[in-house]
Amino acid sequence: MIEVKELTKIYGKKDAAFKALDNVSLVIENKSTVSIIGKSGSGKSTLMHIMSGLDEPTNGTVVIDDVDIFKMKEKKIDSFRSSEMSFVFQSFFVEANATCYQNVMLPLEIAKIGITKRKKMVMEALKAVDLQDKVNAKASTLSGGQKQRLAVARAIVNKPSILFADEPTGNLDSTNGDKIIDLLFGLNKSLGCTLIIVTHDPDIAKKTSMRISIKDGKIEGIEKGPK
Amino acid sequence: MQFTDIIKRSLRNLQSSKARTILTALAIAVGTFALTLTLGASNGAKEYANNIVKSNFDPTELIVSKDPNLFSSQDATKPQVYNPSFGSISTFGGETRQVQYLNSADLAKIATTPGVSSVQPAITVSLKYITRDGQKKYIGTLAPYNSYQKPDLLAGTIPDNIPDKTVILPQGFLSALGFSNAKAAIGQNIRLSVQNQTNQTPSSALINSLAALNSTSNASQETNFKIIAVSATPSTTISAATSLYLYTNLNQVELLNNYIYSGTSSYQKYLTAYAKVTDGTNLTKLNNAKSLVKAEGYSVQTVVDTEKLITQFIGVIEGIVTLFGLIAIIASLFGVVNTMYISVLQRTREIGLMKALGMHRRDVSRLFRIEAGLIGLLGGIIGSIIAVGLGVALNPVISNKLGLGNSRLLIFKPSQIIILIIVLIIVAIIAGLLPARKAAKLDPIEALRTE
Ligand SMILES: Nc1ncnc2c1ncn2[C@@H]1O[C@H](COP(=O)(O)OP(=O)(O)OP(=O)(O)O)[C@@H](O)[C@H]1O
Ligand SMILES: [Mg+2]
Repeated sequence: MIEVKELTKIYGKKDAAFKALDNVSLVIENKSTVSIIGKSGSGKSTLMHIMSGLDEPTNGTVVIDDVDIFKMKEKKIDSFRSSEMSFVFQSFFVEANATCYQNVMLPLEIAKIGITKRKKMVMEALKAVDLQDKVNAKASTLSGGQKQRLAVARAIVNKPSILFADEPTGNLDSTNGDKIIDLLFGLNKSLGCTLIIVTHDPDIAKKTSMRISIKDGKIEGIEKGPK
Repeated sequence: MQFTDIIKRSLRNLQSSKARTILTALAIAVGTFALTLTLGASNGAKEYANNIVKSNFDPTELIVSKDPNLFSSQDATKPQVYNPSFGSISTFGGETRQVQYLNSADLAKIATTPGVSSVQPAITVSLKYITRDGQKKYIGTLAPYNSYQKPDLLAGTIPDNIPDKTVILPQGFLSALGFSNAKAAIGQNIRLSVQNQTNQTPSSALINSLAALNSTSNASQETNFKIIAVSATPSTTISAATSLYLYTNLNQVELLNNYIYSGTSSYQKYLTAYAKVTDGTNLTKLNNAKSLVKAEGYSVQTVVDTEKLITQFIGVIEGIVTLFGLIAIIASLFGVVNTMYISVLQRTREIGLMKALGMHRRDVSRLFRIEAGLIGLLGGIIGSIIAVGLGVALNPVISNKLGLGNSRLLIFKPSQIIILIIVLIIVAIIAGLLPARKAAKLDPIEALRTE
């Protein structure tokens, strides 16, 4: 369970100060699918970054499974992120010079998974995104859709309990975008991880069990239930 | 992240920007090259000096003199006060000096010093001539043979105790004395002539010097010596000064020397003497004996001191070249800093991703430090391999040009090169500290935002 309490984020100081999040509170159940929707600049990414501990709030707390993540030491948050969380970003962020195998390996290296277990986990993840025939191909040779699938494989290889996706289809055409979305929702079912998607696309939002809409840093509304 | 993973990742990063890595490493290689050659040359020079000293001096001996200025240079700007109580006036290296000599009483005193097992005066006899029936006369020097010399022999053997009236003939005299080869000389007699110094009155020597040399004076003595061995001409040019020395036992040399100087003020007076130290290979014992002899009012040097003098000179040259090598390395370190900064900038997003995925700050920093260290390693390996390769190829040429014989000018010690490379790695890591810090402090959100 992720409990977000009275979250406020102010960027800059004094005259230049900008309130990106204004007193945001919400609760996300484990294994649910959540969409965060809103206009550009409304604060969606900011909320996601704070929920994942990548960014610190000006005020408020984030409690994940009864642990206040901002009370943890930096190394603890790091370890927590590497074992419990994963990310898929709009612009892929794959290591172009590395092979698919090496790309997917990264979270396992960071989480210090033993070498013997790694190969099986990487191959499973690549299979889940249908890239098993590209194991040793350099990431730079992949198409956009393949790159994002590679990013998804990297996100699921460590079997995270929360998967954050920040506009994962933003740079893809609809066919490839749909593939990614199907993949992410499928993983939510098969792995049982909480899926939190930031999106502009109402069609994607419709598929989630919880829809949080944000406007100017404030919660405009929260819808629950399928469809 | 595990250490091996970090190393693998660093290697991959270096590989993905090969040109940049190699160029940066080459800059380090230049300095390494200079330092490796310097180390090699100074090893070679030290060993060479060591060889020369070892073949001319016994390391377990003290070189003793009465004159306090013999082993240290005198203040040349102040005149020396005349002292009627000692020695003769000699031109010592072109400069007129009053030199104190050791006499037999001194030698006896030194011999009783605790730790000293025996004393022998340092003498060589300037022969009037050397000859053999039907051959020309040649000038020459006769010196006492010491067991540490161990010259290469062309024929014959040198017994532990060289019998009286026997001599070791240097190769250079073979054909001059009409021997067809070294074997033919063994067992043959040669005649050595010495002349008493009192016979040479300055006036007659000056006016009639040619006549004086040609006349067989009464005060000359010819002795037959049997050749027991023929020594090969040494391969090094520095030993050339002694390469025509004839050797016999000390007793014979003393006899001839006494004959030359009897009736002169120099009779049984010696500039230096060798005091053999019991267990002299033990440096503490050697130095103990040295200070005891010194306490008796003599000047004392050991071969270690002599070597020190030579190595000091080598050290200065070594220092200068090392300095240039170090400057080259320091300059190249800025290259490492620069390269690592560019690398951090280029990989901002990758660093952001790694941090977002939970990589610790320390591991991120380590990744870049190791990368810098690997550049240092690469530069060190390239530089030292080129230096060693060049050295091995040039050694025979240099030895030939300088007349060093079989000794090599450049001697590379793997341990030194390994230490040099380790130092380079450490220094490169230090150069990578700032860029690594920048990478470690990178805000993942900012990093991921950069397109
Ligand atoms: N580091 C920062 N300094 C100042 N302002 C910032 C910073 N980061 C974000 N903002 C501002 O905060 C607001 C929210 O940004 P955020 O990235 O969360 O929007 P978003 O909803 O994700 O938009 P988009 O759909 O375009 O990605 C924006 O107005 C942005 O300009
Ligand atoms: Mg955003």
